[in-house]
Amino acid sequence: MGAAPMSLDDLRPGDEIPPWTMDSVDPARMRTMAAILRDPYSVHWDREANAALGLAGRVVNQGPLNLGYIVNMLLAWAGPSCVRRLTVSFGAPVLDGDRVTARGHVTSLDTVDGERHATCEVRLERDGADVVTGTAVVALPDG
Amino acid sequence: MTTGLTEEQLDSLVGHRFAGGTYRIEHWENWLLTDCTGRAPLPGGLVHPIVLFHVPILGVGTSITELFELGGVSGPGSVGLEGYDWEYFVPLHEDVEYRMEGGVVAAHRVTDDSGRVHDKFVFEITLFDGDRKAARITNRWVLRR
Repeated sequence: MGAAPMSLDDLRPGDEIPPWTMDSVDPARMRTMAAILRDPYSVHWDREANAALGLAGRVVNQGPLNLGYIVNMLLAWAGPSCVRRLTVSFGAPVLDGDRVTARGHVTSLDTVDGERHATCEVRLERDGADVVTGTAVVALPDG
Repeated sequence: MTTGLTEEQLDSLVGHRFAGGTYRIEHWENWLLTDCTGRAPLPGGLVHPIVLFHVPILGVGTSITELFELGGVSGPGSVGLEGYDWEYFVPLHEDVEYRMEGGVVAAHRVTDDSGRVHDKFVFEITLFDGDRKAARITNRWVLRR
């Protein structure tokens, strides 16, 4: 797999997307997110309830936030309106204090309705293991 | 953890239509949501793409709580995310009133390798800007029994 290209003009399958890291997943952001989502699911803010689930009194990050780190990688790479499709599967939960890194690489390139698209395999890693995996289609800026 | 649904009741959820409605993403909401992801706001009133979790659910006239009730689950650990398929036909913006419609497209009971029973619950919602499709989401949840 090649190194991250300097330009989006000469992308090739196999090129890596520059990774994006969240150094420490913040429980305060989970609480804000729970309010925005109108999500009453206590796994995101009630440590005592989670102890009963075997999570050692930690709280569980929202799936959309885990996906958000992958999206942030794509936005930083190909621009603020680049995302055309996200197809992802979720694995193990991400917990407060975890360090996670979004990574991806280009698998194919094509043109749809005059717009250059890159299809990419994407993933979110924690300690080298995938916790979210999937595919993203992004529109590339005109060369 | 569960109020329980028979397999027949579960099957009958397929075809359930949400009420439908509209949603306008306000600047404050987009700002806070984007901040939760750990990045700065996007330029030009663009909304962060992960709005496609809560905006379709609320805009179509339901809620996470109601979806749990529909699936017959409640309580910590009762719902897991299996996956999303989110399509963006146009960039989404703040202060645009999007219209939404959708419903449950799949629901079925499975038994995993360890013998535990859970249900797959899939719903799809389409967002419109006027008559134009703006986005479509398909969310796959696991309801634990």
